[in-house]
Order: sequence, then structure tokens, then C-alpha cells
Amino acid sequence: MKKLIIYITAFLILSPIGILLYKARVLKLSLVPQMVDDVWNFHINVKPKGDVSNFSFPIPKSAPGQKVTDERVRHKDLEVFIDSNSDSNVATWSSKEFIKGRISYSARIDLKPVIYSKIPKDYTETYPKGLEQYLKIPNLLPEDEEAINSLETAILEGSEDKTTLIRKIYYYVEEEIQRNTDIKTIHETLNTGKGSPLIKAKLFNIMARRKKVPSRIVVMVRMPELRQSMEETKLRFTFANEVFLANKWIPIDTNRGFFGERPDNFMLIHRNYEEVEKLISKKNVSYSIQAERARINRYNKAEFKKEVIKSDSIFSKLSLYRLPLPLQTMFTTILLIPIGALVLSIARNVIGIPTFGIFTPILLTLFFKETSFGFGMLFFAIVVTIGIVERYILDKFYLLAVPRLSIILTLIIMLMLGYSFYAVELTSISQKHLSFFPIVIVTLIIERLSIMITEEGMLNTFKTLLGTMVIVLLVYSLYFISALEMFMFTNPELLFLIIGLLILVGKYKGYRLSEFLRFRDLVRQKKKMESLPHDLL
Amino acid sequence: MIFSNLKEMGILGINNRVGRYILRHNKRSNYPLVDNKVLTALRAEAWGIATPENYLIVENYGSLKNLHLKLLNYESFVIKPAKGSQGNGIIVIKEIIKEERNGEVRVLCRRSNDKLMDVEEVKHHISGILSGLHSLSGQSDTAIIQAKIDKHPIFDHYSYGGIPDIRVIVFEGFPVMSMVRLPTKSSDGRANLHQGAIGAGLNLSDGRTNNAVIRNQVVDIHPDTGHKLSGLKLPFWQEILELAARCYDMVELGYLGADIVLTPDHGPILLELNARPGLGIQIANLSGLVPRLEKIRLQAPKNLMAKERVDYSMKNF
Repeated sequence: MKKLIIYITAFLILSPIGILLYKARVLKLSLVPQMVDDVWNFHINVKPKGDVSNFSFPIPKSAPGQKVTDERVRHKDLEVFIDSNSDSNVATWSSKEFIKGRISYSARIDLKPVIYSKIPKDYTETYPKGLEQYLKIPNLLPEDEEAINSLETAILEGSEDKTTLIRKIYYYVEEEIQRNTDIKTIHETLNTGKGSPLIKAKLFNIMARRKKVPSRIVVMVRMPELRQSMEETKLRFTFANEVFLANKWIPIDTNRGFFGERPDNFMLIHRNYEEVEKLISKKNVSYSIQAERARINRYNKAEFKKEVIKSDSIFSKLSLYRLPLPLQTMFTTILLIPIGALVLSIARNVIGIPTFGIFTPILLTLFFKETSFGFGMLFFAIVVTIGIVERYILDKFYLLAVPRLSIILTLIIMLMLGYSFYAVELTSISQKHLSFFPIVIVTLIIERLSIMITEEGMLNTFKTLLGTMVIVLLVYSLYFISALEMFMFTNPELLFLIIGLLILVGKYKGYRLSEFLRFRDLVRQKKKMESLPHDLL
Repeated sequence: MIFSNLKEMGILGINNRVGRYILRHNKRSNYPLVDNKVLTALRAEAWGIATPENYLIVENYGSLKNLHLKLLNYESFVIKPAKGSQGNGIIVIKEIIKEERNGEVRVLCRRSNDKLMDVEEVKHHISGILSGLHSLSGQSDTAIIQAKIDKHPIFDHYSYGGIPDIRVIVFEGFPVMSMVRLPTKSSDGRANLHQGAIGAGLNLSDGRTNNAVIRNQVVDIHPDTGHKLSGLKLPFWQEILELAARCYDMVELGYLGADIVLTPDHGPILLELNARPGLGIQIANLSGLVPRLEKIRLQAPKNLMAKERVDYSMKNF
């Protein structure tokens, strides 16, 4: 019998964990849907200068660390063509007439940092044809070439592999060339040791290519800081590099000091500046770029649903994400109740916190959850006061218990009426605050409370009330861990785990924490007695 | 470990009581026999175990109507819910006063704390009992009107107001621990430890008090009478223990609390039984229940008569 329980408990606890591991490792499902809050709403407005009937502009493309969704490129009067043959996208709008007015592009962009912490040494000699364009060195003035030559002898001495070379070039450009947006040619930079971000990227590009490392300048947008996000922030293009090391394009930013890393506040627009130099030149177009964080901070259930269904396993058939949305919302709330019950069990049986009734704290929590904490507390406090007072008054009338309870129930409904009149005057309050089932719970609590006061005194009653409130607070706070809510909803098999844990709590035969206090005096007095000489007893 | 002291002394905790003793030794189907005092009384009568006389059993509101006429037949009585717990809902009426004014008869009841109650109030209280206000689970209940028991003179200096009662914990028919609960002023004359009555531990060997506590604090004298609490030796001690031990045979609950009162003329009688007796008795005795329970469980001989079991307990504990 004892063994059977151990087996059952172990099974209940281990199997959900096993399923979780299976989902995560084998099916590669995420255990919780992605948060949508690191998603950006991104907009570009472009207007070609002069009379043109078609023009092109780079638009973002999904890449490692960058996911583009919900793109809107269409324009009612224009044809749109997107060239996505290279690593980047370029959109071309065309019309039979000259293009007048602005053209807008918008998309949702999910950014993640890209980090290559270990870049192996690279001794590559030859590169495939496609990369040849990234090795072409632009024509330089002879004196500039000479300057770079001597620079190379100075800083790159003794480096044998390409990764080390690139790192040294990076350190030089990042540290030695000061940022100065007025300086716009390589020539000036080599003479003054200063340069604009674009020039720094160009210099790095040239130095890398001279060492036969494929390199390119990338066009990026730096996303606004969180604080700026509410207002409309105009953004500009900025530049960094990518070098091809160990068969990967490695991001390098000599302006902001990132080697092998692109933080998640930079978005790639185009990965080869040379191709779009003309397209984004202010001579040809005027443009404005905006980005703001999507204001919703919740889990992307829709995306996750797709992910689950795509996985095509038994779990995709059993997933709660297949339910209609209202049911989903209900279950996200309901699935936390067993956790609440677990908390309650531990609080009562292991700690020894007294509560009214068994599930009253849980029901109260749901009441609080359905309304709001402040409202719930206030309502509860008022109702308890009214209940106690009323019971003392009604006691004088010698009413039978059921009608008396019904009177309290009616009084609570009157209170709610009064509240809603007040609330309508005050603001538009949501109807959520007035729902059905809490009324009865509250009534029953009042009745238990008033009986307890007469039978066990105020002190004990308030202890119990306090205990109930502590548990309500504990369980209520569970609802603030939105990850927990989503975790349970995504993986409802965890309910078995909870049953397993409940069996463990149920088998607990040790002392309750409260008994330590209860028997504390006993222990002390026993010790005192034992320390006395025997003839005194 | 903070619990090591408790463990060392063999203190029984609630979880242990429920998990190891009550759930394993008490058959759920036998609970009504102890939870419902009407059933207890019927069973006790069949077994020849003395209990207070039940004058009236009030089962429905209809019989409340003429109740005051019936109550006039008795000088004193106790009203209690059949399924009450911890003494809740019990009212002791020690005197019935009949007032005649302008041909109208008014019946007043004097409670044990000397407060006067109109008979209508008494009826209201009974209707509260019927609707389940004081019952264990809140279900509708029955009210019992029972003979009031007088205090045995031995308790004259040890009790304030009400009647002391003797709690005996019986495990598998063996008395394992006992205490006497002495009402005080702060317990409002009730023998209820939670409300401030004295709990005095009793030696199972001789029925002598070994220690006394009020709300977990050791006391030497009764706070209201000023009498020294040590040295009280209960008469009919063997009979008290035998009565308790026989209750095991009667209701077949392995872990049982028997509440017994001493009457001046009839000796010990059974007041009520409890299937979930409290743990405060350990504080009153300054000792833990676990070693005694385990001794019974592992070592005591089986299939003994009540008297033999009492002998075993008196010798061993």
C-alpha cells in the first residue's frame, strides 16, 4: 500500500516533468508563448524627389535576431515589387504617372540581440564567387593608400589569422578614430583621426577588404529608448559593418563598440550599403522613420497556436490553444486554482494558518480577481461590518436562521445597488465589479464570522480572518505572475504534478509550524520541571 | 530542527493524529454514533452505560410552539445541539421562574451565569440549533433538552460556576491519557480549555492531578477559588476509566475522547464522546501522547475486557 502510493506519487510528479522535457527538447516547442512587448511598430515614409514614375527603397528583412511580420507595402495607386534575392529586401513602387505624395511602409519587428561570443580563427584563402563583390577595394588617393599601408604595418604586425586581423582593425577604428559627424571623407579621416559613423564604417570596410576579408557596410536604424517611445521620434539611418569570418557574417560596430554582437535596439535595413547608397541619398528621396514599442504587453497566443499546431504531435491536438478565445481566458484563470489549493493546503496543514471554511480563501481570491484588489477589500470590509452589525440587530428579532441569512444577502445586494449608483456618478465603472457568485460567498462568510464572534470571541475570529486574508493575498499574488498563468495554460499536464504534490502534503504527518508555538510553553515548563531537584516536586 | 524538542517529548501533532491514528483506527461510518448525541445516548442505553437523562428531543420547529408548557415540568435543564462541538450552543438553565401578571403567565429561565432569559429567547435559541447554527457541518440539527447534572462536592473548591468534566483519551480501548477540565470565571463557567478553563492532568494510575494549565500556562491555584490545584484525587477513578474503556466497545472507534462527569449520587456518567479529541490534554499533563499510543499499538495484548485494559493502563502509564 505504502509502495503503491510512492509509485503513484512519483508517476504523477515525474510524468508531467517528462512531458515538459519532451516538448522542449524533442518537439522544440517553447514552454510559454513569446511576450509581444519587445515587438516594434516600424514605419517608413518616403517621398521621391523630382518627377519619377518608379523608385526603390530598402525595407527590413527577417534575419537572425530580427523577425519582420505584418508588413504593409501596398499602395492603392502603385504597383509594388519586392526584390528579395540578396540578403536584403528592396521594394520598388511604380506607376504609369509620376509619383506624387508619400509612400508608407510599416511592419512589426521583433528584435533579439545577436551575439557571437567565440569566433574561431580563420585562415580562409579563397571565397565563393558570390562574396567577391565584398572584397573589391575602392579607388583611393595615392597618399591615402600610403597612409593606410603604414597604418597596417604599425597595427597589424605579426597577425597570422583573419579573425585576429579583424579584431585589431576593429580596435583601431573603434578607439583611435574619434566620432565627428563633420568629417565625411576617408582622406580627412586619415589626416585628422576623426570621422562620421559612415566614414568609420567605410574605413573599417576598406581595411578589412585589403586583408582579403569579405566585408560590407550595413544600414541600420537605432530604435528609440523606452522613455522616448510614446512621443514620435524621428530616426535616422546609421551604419556598421559585417565581416565574413568562419563562414558567418559577423556584426561589428566601430561606432558603438560591438564586436561580434548586435544589440536588440538595432534593426537592419539593408546589409550592403553600396547597393542602396543612391536609393537612400537625400538628393533623391526625403524620408522619415519611426518606431515605437507595441504597447500591449501580453503573450502572443496566436503565434503560439500556430507553433503548436505545426508541431503536429498529440499535444497539438490536446492544446488548450485550440479552444475558442473566451474559453481560453476562462481557463487561464481557472488553471491557477489548483495551485491556489496547493498553497492553501500547505498553509493549513504544514504551517497551520487558520481559515474560514476550507475553500473560502480560494473563492474570495476569485472574487478579488474578478473585481480588483482594492475594490474587493473595500467591499469585503464594508460587507463584514454591515453583516456583524446587522446580525446583532436582527438577533433581537428572534428570526429563524435561513430568513436572517437571506436578509443579509438582500442587504448586500442593496449595497451593490448603492455602489453602482455612486460609481456611475463617479466614473464609468466596468460591470465586472458586480458579478453574481461572490454575493453568496460573502453572505456565508458573514454568517460564519458572526457565529464565530459569539462563540469564540473577537480575538480568535480576527486571527482566523487574518489567516484567511493571508492566504487570499498569497493566492491572489499568484495571478500577478503572468508567466505562471501562461505556463499552466500552455502545459496543463502540470495539474498531475499538483496532484502529486498534494498527495505529499496529504501524507505529511510532521508537526505544523503553529504547533511549535502551541507547545512551546509545554516544552519550556517540562524542561524547567526537569531541572528542579526531585524532592521539591 | 525546530521540532526536535516536540519529537523528543513525543508530542502528538494534528497531522500525525489525523493521518496515523484517526484515519487508520476510526471507521468513518461509526462517526455518527459520536457526532450525534441523540444516537450516542440511545447506544449507551443499550450498552448499559449511564448518561444524563434526555427529557425532550426537539426535531422540528412545530414542536417549539408548546415547548414552554413542557419545560415547566422541569426544575432545571440543559439545552444542547445534538451535533454541536466544543460546547458551542449549550445553555444551562438552573431555574424556571413562573410569573403571573394580570392572568398572563410569563416564564423566565435563569441561566447558570444567573442571567435571565425569557422563554421566547430560549425558543429562539432552540430554533437556531434546529437550523444548524451550531452543528459541526452547518446542517440542520436536533436540539436536546437534558437533565442538568449537579456538581460533585469534591469539586466545590476547584470549580467556578459549571460542572467539571473528565476527558479520557482511549486508544484501541486502552485509556492513554486523562485530564479534568475545571470551569473558571473567564471560561464563563464552561469546561472549555479554549475559553480559559483549567486543564489539570490526571495520573492514570491513581486519578491524582499532576499539573494544571490555563491557556497553556502552568498554574498552581484556581484563579477564582484560590484553592491549590495539586493534590486533587478523583473518587471512583477505576470506574471512570472503565466507563471510558467500555465506550470503545460501544462505538468501535480506535481513537476516542470520552467526556465523563461525576454525579453526586450516581458516580461517573458519560456526557459525550469525541472522535477527534483535541491535543491540549498533552499540555495539561506536560507529556506527549505518542509514546503511550505506540506502546499500545505495538505491545499491548489484544482481545482484553475493558477491566483488563484499564488495569494495563493503570499499571503502565
